[in-house]
Formats: sequence, C-alpha cells, structure tokens
Amino acid sequence: MSGAYIRGVGLASPLGMDAESSIAALLSGAAQPARLTLDGLTEPLNLSYHHIPDGAELFDPQRLGRLLPQVVRAATESLSEAERATLPVFVGSSCFSVALAEAEYAASLARGTVDAIAMPRCDYDYPAKLACAALRSSGETWSYNTACSSSANALLGALRFLEAGVYDHALVLGVECANRISLAGFSGLQVLAEAVRPFDAARRGMVLGEGLGAVLFSARHVPGALRILGGANNCDTHNVTTANPDGRSIAEVLRAALAATGTDIGAVRAIKVHGTGSVSGDQAEAAGLSQVFPTLPSLSGLKGYIGHSLGACGVVELVLFAGALQRGLIPSTAGFSAPDPALGLRPLTGSAPAPAGCYLLNHFGFGGNNTVLVLEKPA
Amino acid sequence: MKLRVVSASHHLHTVREGEPLPDLTPTLKQVCRERPRRVDRFIELALLGSGLCVQGRQLKPDCGLYLGSGFGPMGSNVAVQEQLLRDRECPKPFDFMNILGASAGFHVARNLGLKGPNLFISRRGASLEAALVAVQADMQLGIVSQALLGVVEEVTLPLDQHRQRHEWHADTPVAEGSHWLLLEKDGTAGKPLRLVRLSDLKELEDYLQAYYSPSGRIYWSLGGEAAVIGALSQRFMAHTPIDSGIHDSQPAAWVAEYAASDESGPLLLIGIGPGESYRLLHLGP
Repeated sequence: MSGAYIRGVGLASPLGMDAESSIAALLSGAAQPARLTLDGLTEPLNLSYHHIPDGAELFDPQRLGRLLPQVVRAATESLSEAERATLPVFVGSSCFSVALAEAEYAASLARGTVDAIAMPRCDYDYPAKLACAALRSSGETWSYNTACSSSANALLGALRFLEAGVYDHALVLGVECANRISLAGFSGLQVLAEAVRPFDAARRGMVLGEGLGAVLFSARHVPGALRILGGANNCDTHNVTTANPDGRSIAEVLRAALAATGTDIGAVRAIKVHGTGSVSGDQAEAAGLSQVFPTLPSLSGLKGYIGHSLGACGVVELVLFAGALQRGLIPSTAGFSAPDPALGLRPLTGSAPAPAGCYLLNHFGFGGNNTVLVLEKPA
Repeated sequence: MKLRVVSASHHLHTVREGEPLPDLTPTLKQVCRERPRRVDRFIELALLGSGLCVQGRQLKPDCGLYLGSGFGPMGSNVAVQEQLLRDRECPKPFDFMNILGASAGFHVARNLGLKGPNLFISRRGASLEAALVAVQADMQLGIVSQALLGVVEEVTLPLDQHRQRHEWHADTPVAEGSHWLLLEKDGTAGKPLRLVRLSDLKELEDYLQAYYSPSGRIYWSLGGEAAVIGALSQRFMAHTPIDSGIHDSQPAAWVAEYAASDESGPLLLIGIGPGESYRLLHLGP
C-alpha cells in the first residue's frame, strides 16, 4: 500500500489560531480548559471546555464560516489555482451546521413565533461548501459522520481515492465548532469531567473542545513529508455508547491497520492514543493495546491539551502529532500522573525523541466505530 | 471495475396530509434478531431496509456497511433541539445518542452481525453516489469484498415543517425511503453496476449513444443543467418517475427500485461532476 503524503496543513485549535503556534504550545506543555456556563437551561451547566481563542462569542453561528476558510487556505497554499478548482474535499464532523440551526430556532423562540421550527436546517455539506467556496472549487465532496471517528474515516476515505488513482490530491477536514447540543447532550450522558486525565487512576470523564483541522494529501512523493500509510475501521456492537471493556474489537482494528499497511509491531515507535479520560473507554483501549503489543511502545495522548474535539479529533490530532514528530518529539500526555494498576500502562509524562518509523493514531467513537491510522516518519 | 448488485430492497412510502407514518413494527419483527429498543424512526428505517435486502443470505465476514443520507436522523434532531431550546432541559440521553452519526450503523451492524467497516456518508441530493464511489474504491483496493449500501431518508411530521426544512413548495408530495443494495466485486450473480467518469458533454453523448436503450431507464441526478439536459433529451428519452413522494436521495429510490425489479434494460443515472465533467451510474447491461 502506497499511502499519501502530507503536503499542507491548517489548524485552529484551543492551543492557537494556526498550526505553527498550536504545535509550539503543545510542545511547551500549555493546556488549561476554560470554564463555561451554558445558560438558557432550567439549571445552567458549568463546564470545562477547550475553545479556539479567536476572541469571538462562543456560540456565534457565523464563527465556523469565518474560521474554516482560513484553515483551508493555509493547508492548500502550495496548490495552483487550477489544482484548487477541482480539489475533492472530505469532511469529518459531528457538528456540521448545527450551530446555525440552533441560532435560528432560538431566535424564532425569542421572537415568540408560534410555529417556530426546531432544526430549521440540516446541512451535512455545510463545512464542505465553506471549503469549496474558499477554494473556488467545484470538486466533489464527502461528508462523514461517524461520531468521534468521523474525520479519521474521512481521511481513510480520501486515502483510498488517492491510492485507487482517482485523484492526485485531496483535502481532508476535521470540524468541531462550539454548539449547545453537544455540550448539553454529553453533559446529560454524565460523561464529562472537570479535567482530562487519560489512563490515570483518578480519571473521571472527558472534557470537550473545539478544533478545525485541514490536511492536504498528495499521492505523489513530497520530499521530507510524513506519510499516512493507511489504516482500518471496524464496528464494535457491544454497546452503542461504550466500547467492549475486553478490548477485543480495538485489538482487531489495531491488527487490521497493521496488516493493511504491512507494518510489523516492532516498527511502531509510538501510539497517539484516543485517551478520552473516560473510565470505560480508557479501559477498553488499554485492554486492546495490551492484546496486540507484548511490550507497549510510547503512548501519547493529546486530549489533555485540546479537549475532545469529537468528530474533528482525527484530523486535528493528526496535525498536532505530525507537527510534533517533524520537530523531533513525541508529545507528553497532559493530565496523566498516577497510573491505574488495573490498566497497566503509563503514557509519556514528558516529551520523548521521535525517531523515524511508524506511528499509530487511535480514534474510537460512539456507535462502536473504531479507526486506527498508520503514520510514517521518514528517515 | 464492475460491481454487481446481488440483492436489493426498496421502501418508498408517500406520506399524505393528516396521515400518520406507517407502522414498521410487523416488518421489523421479520427482519430483526432482537427487538430494537430506544431507537428512532431513522434507525427503524435502516433496520427495515437492510434486513429486507439481506434476508436469507449469509454475509461475508469482511462485509462493509455504507450508510448514506442527506438529512439523517431528523426526528431525533428536532426532539433534541426542542428539549434544549424550547423546554430548557438537557437532551434526553437516548434522543441525543440517536443523533450521533454512527448510531444507525451500529444497530444495523448489531442486527446483521457485521464487524467490518461501518460508515455514514452524506452529500445533499447525491448520498447514493457519494457512498457508491466509496464502496468502489474500497473494493478496488481489496478492503472489502462485499458491501451493504443503504440510503435512508425519514419524514418528520408535521409535513409543512418537513417541507420547509427541505425548502420545498407547500404542495410537494413527500416520502420516506430506505433503499439498499448488496454489492460484490466478483461473480456473475445479479446486475452489473459501473460508475463511469466522463470528462465532457461529448463523452457523455458518446456513452449514451452506445448504451441507451428505449427499454431501459435514464435519469438525471442533479438539476441546474437544463440546457444540456434539453439538448440530450431530444435524442435520449429520460424516464419519468412515477407520481410518488420525494425525498433528498431520490436517485437511490430509482436505483434500488430498478435493482429489485426483473427489468432487463440498462438504468443510466447521470450526474454533474467537477468542472465540465459528468458522473454516470450504469446498472444492468
């Protein structure tokens, strides 16, 4: 399998307004969620949240329309106008146009409109349309919605079109922008915590965050660039909200990703874990990892820095992780301090040197949707 | 590369003013191994269509599930927004879980015992085509040797609000649909399916000249190309769909209905591609 090269990236994350500043902040160890009060409820919610520091009102429905084009342009600046004009766009998101729909419905209710329509719009294509407008592209679009593995699956989809020879380049976006439904919905599921503590004995749940990431992939060799070799996706039908704690399906998708890319477990230098900090999710991931790796490579979790960006995390965390590798470092795991004896693993608590070789990126979502990507750092 | 449609199912129900949505329970009892619990209309439609499509068949261990939809689980989305913004409460957990994109795929996989790739893909007005090319790429690369592809669109009552969400006229007849194809790469069973990329109008005309049959069907997937369609339609008679309700993924209804039928002429579904290009779905000889 030949894979695809990372030719350009764009990012707006809780760590910074572009990829460069976000990666620098990641490696400096900066990470603190803000406190957020979600009002308008019978009982307002007070939550930890990692937000993009653009200075705008968090639920401004136009934010995505302002931020995403900048991220798209940053990733595609190396392309010619002609290449951009037909560039295919693959989006993974769990928010799409929901902030717009919330704002319209709330405004109708505030006006006292008798027949206010909930969910007045539903546009899975909205981020793709924003990207195409920014690119002046008439390229085809695919919008993936598989919960927290959405953009990892969009990336695999793009990769397969490149490998099948359908396209020379593809743009993959991960999109998560603040919205009330995600915050209140996950709060209602009682899966949120004050702080992310991946694999820690004191972990209590996840902290949400936003992030907009873009990666331009090229089927052609790009000297010095990291390459996605491939990956795998499967479905764990144990439970719609929780992975099977025995880790079997996670072990299966890890093995499938290694087999699909011809990667020997001895060649894996480190794993970017999914590591949400949830009790059962981390348990399942730890069990799956230990079934595949007799000796675990270095483990690095990023959600302590940026929160869980849900459907965007596949691309957002790839941009951050790949950027750190290019700077010669595997990032540390913010939030981890005390090992959980029941899990038997210990993520990195400080940055480590990043040698050439293969790196895995884990992404597991509600609905049992598991995706593992294999990234290669060249010698 | 040719795919083959080895099985298909087609549910299209026109929803009329003042009538409730049809009860799917009797059919769900036939096709579900266990009674689905705490699922919404969208998931029920997905279970129904997928179950009918593969009924009596043994699926391959690597079978992938590809679910397409333009509007997704709208009923649950509406419920969640009303709970949050009108009633000022946190969404009910099961309503919230049902709006997460992987939920329908999860329930279908659980019912059919699928463990392989499981994707939800959307493209307004063309979710079938978007999911089909993903299937084709995965089969070409050997990721899967069998794919269960479904397109589901639900109707959320009341109908006037449903039409407003779709930006349809007040008198537009509307339908819910669940349209499924079981696809394989090899063998001789079923109808062959090709996805053809044509770089310009000349190539499209040449293709139609070669394969058009008055006994087959020809459809235009996307609007907005009236001049082109007008010029070609003088030579290649487009099929007029029967007078029924519509949903966002109407091409899926045409294709699944044809695939499930015993018609022998080709079905040609023409869509607009990037730039000057066209995308053509060719089902049958």
